[in-house]
Amino acid sequence: MINNFKLGGIIFIYLFLLFFINGCTTPEENAINKGPEVYTVEIKNMKFQPEELTVKKGDTVIWVNHDIVTHCVTEELTKAWTSGKIAAGGSWKMAVENSYNYFCAIHEVMKGKIIVQ
Amino acid sequence: MKQFMKLNMAIVVCSIIVFGSAYAQKNPKLTDPEIASVAVTANQVDVNYAKIALTRSKNSDVLKFAQTMSDDHTAVINQAVALVTKLKVTPKDNAVSRKLLSDAEKTKKQLIAKPAKAFDKAYIDNEVAYHKAVISTVEGLLIPQAQNAELKKLLQDVVPTLKAHLAHAEMLQKKIEKK
Ligand SMILES: [Cu+2]
Repeated sequence: MINNFKLGGIIFIYLFLLFFINGCTTPEENAINKGPEVYTVEIKNMKFQPEELTVKKGDTVIWVNHDIVTHCVTEELTKAWTSGKIAAGGSWKMAVENSYNYFCAIHEVMKGKIIVQ
Repeated sequence: MKQFMKLNMAIVVCSIIVFGSAYAQKNPKLTDPEIASVAVTANQVDVNYAKIALTRSKNSDVLKFAQTMSDDHTAVINQAVALVTKLKVTPKDNAVSRKLLSDAEKTKKQLIAKPAKAFDKAYIDNEVAYHKAVISTVEGLLIPQAQNAELKKLLQDVVPTLKAHLAHAEMLQKKIEKK
């Protein structure tokens, strides 16, 4: 009986804490205070997924290579920046300041786009 | 009448043999060790073409493409070898892998004999044709006949790579034609 009481108390405290912690970080509040966000582009089956990604200035984008071949991420128009080789299973990240069309300079038919809102 | 029936029967039997073997030749039955051998051979053939291009071409687009072919097809071979080692399967040569090798031998000789001016076009044209042929072999023969699920999955995973290579080769083909 006492055990049941104790258990009930623990559950109550747990639920209370859960509610309290959740209450502190509601999604809306997150949206107000948040710093830069991190987005992932999967490189899979010779495609950037998603091909087009919209972010805010200063957000970070991570490209993850799930293929068995080496890829890269390179600015398309003037090759202003490049990841260099991203080996199979590897990844590369960049904080984004501008909108870019990019491509894989190793497989030139693979293209992607980042739009800074 | 009896004679006629016999003749008819003979015609039917003969046509089954003739068309049957033609069909078998078009769609040979391959075991997993044979499929593994075809897969490794098909990739090795393209690595060998790339080696010729890397020594003969002066065009930076073609050189880059050839390096990509060498790197990617080597990566596929390594993946295939790792899988057959894990599965304890020994690749077994067969009619399809032997045909790939004998055709490649002829093409290699033609590429080496091409005058320097005509080399890039000959190499890229062959890359377009070869990738088309390999895609149809992998999709039409190897994937449907592979028994082991991991071998089937590896073959399926390779198709997007082959298709990207084909698109890349076709892009270079247009670029070279414009020159
Ligand atoms: Cu790539």
